[in-house]
Amino acid sequence: MSQVREPEFDRAVAMVLRVGAFGCFFIMLAGLIDGLFMGGSIPVDIERAGVLLMLATPVVRVIVACFLFFREKDFKYGWISLGVLVILTLGAVFGIGEH
Amino acid sequence: MVTVLLVILGFAAGLLGALTGIGGGVLLTPLLALHFGIPIRQAIGTSLVAVITTSAASSSVHLQRHTTDIRLGMTLELATSLGAAVMAYLVGYFNRNFLEGLFAAFLLYSSITLLRGGKLKSDDESSPSAAAVNGEIVIPPYQPKRYPLGMGASLVAGALSGLLGIGGGPIKVPVMMIFMNVPLMVATATSNFMIGVTAAASALVYYRRGDILVNIAAPLAVGVFLGSLLGARLAPRIHKRVVVYLLVAVMFYLAAHLLFHLAEVNL
Repeated sequence: MSQVREPEFDRAVAMVLRVGAFGCFFIMLAGLIDGLFMGGSIPVDIERAGVLLMLATPVVRVIVACFLFFREKDFKYGWISLGVLVILTLGAVFGIGEH
Repeated sequence: MVTVLLVILGFAAGLLGALTGIGGGVLLTPLLALHFGIPIRQAIGTSLVAVITTSAASSSVHLQRHTTDIRLGMTLELATSLGAAVMAYLVGYFNRNFLEGLFAAFLLYSSITLLRGGKLKSDDESSPSAAAVNGEIVIPPYQPKRYPLGMGASLVAGALSGLLGIGGGPIKVPVMMIFMNVPLMVATATSNFMIGVTAAASALVYYRRGDILVNIAAPLAVGVFLGSLLGARLAPRIHKRVVVYLLVAVMFYLAAHLLFHLAEVNL
């Protein structure tokens, strides 16, 4: 069960992570270069976009895995993924608590 | 200039983290707090961004080697993300001294795991990788056991992650290996895989509270990304012992620094 090898599944999830990590890297790099060499007109906004993309990447990864599990009719793990997604969403929505 | 320093720092943490499998957060939070004068809560939030970056970069490599158990990872993530999100809320109620003390304790615990794991690793890893045929890694069949215990430990690992801005690998890997009957290579890859979601669960809370310093997180993440990519490439080829001793030395230094700081403030 657990040791079933599913290369396509692995590849799809790996792709999400790679796109997120590389995308975030280039966005942040652009922000840094702008800040260091071009007087930094808008770097903080660029950097913020990079950070947000990085925070979103694991969430997208869970969504994609959830979709793939349901498509494979592996409902148990589909629901588990959905549960993880709910926890992530609740954190994002209610994370305003100012202490 | 601080920006350049942060890139270099992130690079070093990412490299060491990928080489030893311990992740960069455990170094970054105390460095940010102690040497950059950033309040501990913001140091934690900022370091979480770097932790997600490390996980995404190294996990995509592991996934391509097909050593990650996505189902096991997803199941344990229920517990880690819950623990992380809840603790991210509660972190405001813990005072700075408690967080610094806990961090020092975790650094010492991680160093011991690293020093002991070095032996375990070289025994265990040589056999499966020796069985690698044409770059295809052969993993012996296994069945994860003792899910309740694994979930409980994952809850603790997630809570620590949300509380300290770390990945929690030094807890998850031994638990999966010793209690859940998962081979080391799979445990390492799966732990790495879980860290991104775990860190995101608490990072989202920190972000909404304004505890992620974007201008610090960006250069750190850039450095960490490059460092962990290089580390993941070098890892199979490098002699681990020297790196482990180096990392342990850095961790001892940070733990001592934290404890010294605690004593200085309180005595």
